[in-house]
Amino acid sequence: MTAPAVGTELLSTRGMSVVFGGLRAVDDLDIRVEAGQLVGLIGPNGAGKTTFIDGISGFVPTQGEISFAGRRIERAPAHKRARLGLGRTWQSLELFEDLTVRENLLVAAQRQTAKGFLLDLVHPDRRSAAVDADVDWALDVLGITDLAGRMPTEISQGQRKLVSVGRTLAARPRLICMDEPAAGLDTSESQEFGRRLRRIIDHGISILLVDHDMGLVLNVCDHLYVIEFGAKIAEGAPAVVTAHEKVKAAYLGERALA
Amino acid sequence: MSRIPTVTPRAGVLAVLVAAGLAVLLIKPDFRDSFFSGGGFALGALVAAIALGLVVTYRGSGVVNLANGAVAMYAAYVYADLRTRGDLFVPPLPNPLAPIEGIVHGIQGNRSFSLPHWPTSLDLGGPMSFWPALGLSLVFCVLFGLLLHLLVFRPLRTAPVLAKVVASVGVLLLLQAIVIRRFSTNPQVVRPIPFVSKKRVDLGLFTLTQEQLFVVVLVLVLTAGLWLLFQRTRFGLAVRAAAENEKGATVLGFSPDRLAAATWVLSTTVTGLLGIFVASVNSSLDPNVMPALIIPAVTAALVGSFSSFGWTTFAAFLLGMQVSFVAYLGVNESWFPQTGGLPLPGVDKLVPLVVIVAVLALRGKSLPTRGALSVGRLPFSPTPRAWSLRWAGPVLAIAAAFAGVFLLSPAYRDGLTNTLTGVIICLSIVVLTGFVGQISLAQMAFAGLSAFTVASLSSHHGWPFPLPILAGALVAVVAGVLVALPALRVRGVNLAIATLAFGVVVDNMVFANSAVNGGFDGATAKPPKLIDTNSQAVHKVLGIKIGDGTQPNPLTLVFCLLVVVVLCYVVANLRRSLTGRQMLATRANERAAAAAGVNVAATKVLAFGLSAFIAGIGGAVIAYRSGNVTPDKFTYDKSLVFFAFAYLGGITSVSGALVGGLLVSGGLGFTFLNDQIGLPNEFVLLLGGVGLILTAVANPEGVAGKVRSDVLAFRRRLQARRDSGVQPGAPPPDGHDEVVVPASALPSGASSVAMVQP
Repeated sequence: MTAPAVGTELLSTRGMSVVFGGLRAVDDLDIRVEAGQLVGLIGPNGAGKTTFIDGISGFVPTQGEISFAGRRIERAPAHKRARLGLGRTWQSLELFEDLTVRENLLVAAQRQTAKGFLLDLVHPDRRSAAVDADVDWALDVLGITDLAGRMPTEISQGQRKLVSVGRTLAARPRLICMDEPAAGLDTSESQEFGRRLRRIIDHGISILLVDHDMGLVLNVCDHLYVIEFGAKIAEGAPAVVTAHEKVKAAYLGERALA
Repeated sequence: MSRIPTVTPRAGVLAVLVAAGLAVLLIKPDFRDSFFSGGGFALGALVAAIALGLVVTYRGSGVVNLANGAVAMYAAYVYADLRTRGDLFVPPLPNPLAPIEGIVHGIQGNRSFSLPHWPTSLDLGGPMSFWPALGLSLVFCVLFGLLLHLLVFRPLRTAPVLAKVVASVGVLLLLQAIVIRRFSTNPQVVRPIPFVSKKRVDLGLFTLTQEQLFVVVLVLVLTAGLWLLFQRTRFGLAVRAAAENEKGATVLGFSPDRLAAATWVLSTTVTGLLGIFVASVNSSLDPNVMPALIIPAVTAALVGSFSSFGWTTFAAFLLGMQVSFVAYLGVNESWFPQTGGLPLPGVDKLVPLVVIVAVLALRGKSLPTRGALSVGRLPFSPTPRAWSLRWAGPVLAIAAAFAGVFLLSPAYRDGLTNTLTGVIICLSIVVLTGFVGQISLAQMAFAGLSAFTVASLSSHHGWPFPLPILAGALVAVVAGVLVALPALRVRGVNLAIATLAFGVVVDNMVFANSAVNGGFDGATAKPPKLIDTNSQAVHKVLGIKIGDGTQPNPLTLVFCLLVVVVLCYVVANLRRSLTGRQMLATRANERAAAAAGVNVAATKVLAFGLSAFIAGIGGAVIAYRSGNVTPDKFTYDKSLVFFAFAYLGGITSVSGALVGGLLVSGGLGFTFLNDQIGLPNEFVLLLGGVGLILTAVANPEGVAGKVRSDVLAFRRRLQARRDSGVQPGAPPPDGHDEVVVPASALPSGASSVAMVQP
């Protein structure tokens, strides 16, 4: 998949809302991610960040428009959006515990066809070299090639986080939405994680990052959105956003910036 | 999560329809008499009691106890035996002295030597009168509830839904097996209740006997009592709190464990009490009717969202009463569908299935979930190893063929053939339940549909030999996909319930239909002479004699073996392929699988289709192998038994299916036990039930999985010993050859605990 030129629009939502009963968890949100950008989405607990990711990746019903890579996707089921190149990770990782790390990545990297299913019954191990190359590449970018044969239950929580990113990466996505990938990492681990994110960006893949680790978000993001109660309260470059009065009041506080 | 049922427009429409239906039933006199019949009320009362018991245990411990109908039956047997003989029958247990007897018999050469046996019953001094018999039976119910909690369901508290379903099926099989062993399947006479008579009481719109009125009132009182207990007492508050959050109950000063025990006792007592009374009203009792009432009961509980006692009882009465009404319609109404001049059988069984599908469709995803209910993990599914595909499989197949053709006696040939057909059914369960985590309790329905298709095509339409197998399997696939469609929105125990009801419907409407089963003439499948099981021909190939002139024909076995080998490789290939990985991904986490681009719905439909296809091939092979296709081979309880043996063998691997095949009734394992220690056939069910409970509680990976993890642990220890002697800093071996401990053998760590969503 050739990466689109930097600066073109990749993902945009217009008036996107997610309503649970009477609660507007995401309220009329316009968000834009350009190709090659690392965009951060921050906000206090319960601001609707995870719900936003669930909405664009197709796991909760949404109102409003969602465009991705020039196509309207708000009606597409989750697996179709993934195949279009909209990958996501989960806060609780959700690795496939019965498959090895490599097999976890293979699930995402390979596409199934009806003919493929019938062939699978007689000749299971066939797959194109490109698929293996994608998996090897994803393992390599994240530096976890040596974990390929291990089971997800045998590796550390930090390694599991990388595998969950790797699973998304192996599908050669255009955009990865990451839901609190750095939660639970210490400062040095978090910095290392930030460097790996930049390496992913260098491959022409965009990232939408939701995280609480302000150090990470402010350091690596090109552009930030701040939301509260499902609605946008500020956006801009990290330096601009941190200077924003409303943001300071709502979320960052003096302590986080100190 | 609110437990208060929310009223939606759809539910409103449904309520209006039900009310209108009831109005018609009340206004038209002949309808009224057949619907609101005394027998219908009594049946409704029993269904209601079983359903109430289900709801109580679900609320108390999150278990849908599919054995609850059998609990009613068992309690009634205990009571009936006390009343008529004054005996308390004892479950048949293995006699620890039997091996000594066996050895002495072997030395003696005759069987005169005898040591004491377990008693079959405890004599309590002649027939008992009503109250002591009832009291003693209820004491039994209390103890039985405690046993179920302590031995079976408490250890399974955090187990996956699958393990709980399996354990309850195990209890069901066990209770049925004990009763059949002690009393055979003949109906037993039950003495009447002394304080009510068969005198009719006119209630204006309908008349009931005193007895029937008594059980109806009793159930209504129990319903109100349970409602009061759960809504108006501290105990009920604690149970409700524990259902949401185990800490809630602790805060109120109750131990969640004791609460669960109390609800089990409450459930078995309520169920047992009505089992006893309704058996008394009907004056007879058999081991099959009451356990099967679990289907209308579970349907009623589903209507009540496994929470509302009132709605559950209401639905249970309607489901019980429609049986006699449908029978009336069948006899008296010209529009009722007919088959062979008789009303279509099994329509009363169709009603619960329709209700289940309607409820599941209306409620969709908002099905009962429990706060403390852990999703849990299914047993580990290993990748087939290269050596087992290249060496173990062929060696096993050749050994089986050689033994089958040249070595085994007719009895063992028969046993091996049963094992082979059993393996096919187990494989179909491995694909669906082992790989995708979908519980189907209707595999023999798929097999039977195929078998009867084969019979019809081969004997009435003259299709030549192998073609009907494919046609039969395709019919099974169609049925499988049909079942899969609701399954897309339904998971876990609800799917088990829906498939169970489907199996009952196919069993009663299709297989019991004389147009399908051939009525008096039966249905036959004519195999080619070469593999006809009745053929006694002896073939000479290159001077080697094949066949010994006795039945069964060893080539029948070879035919079954060929099919098994092909299907084993198909399933093993599936596990190693992309499709297999997608299936396991779906099983592990549907959302994450979708996010990885897996079409979860298509994967499930595919799994159902393939599973039904394999079961269909199994049914076709069973048809050709036995020559005549009879409904008793494909009844719904056979599906349960096969599920049990598949789980027992190991539900996630081909090797597990092979072990499962060895264990099935009539299979090689039981042929051996029968031959060596004279174990009678009734013990198949008994050992199956016990084995299933033990497997679910102690060893969810089944026999094959247990052996595998033991071997791996042993190899790992050897490796560690070798490594410690050589070089401590050796790099870790290549991942693919590294022994991998099945995840479920590890303590459940942080990995399986889902983080709390913000």
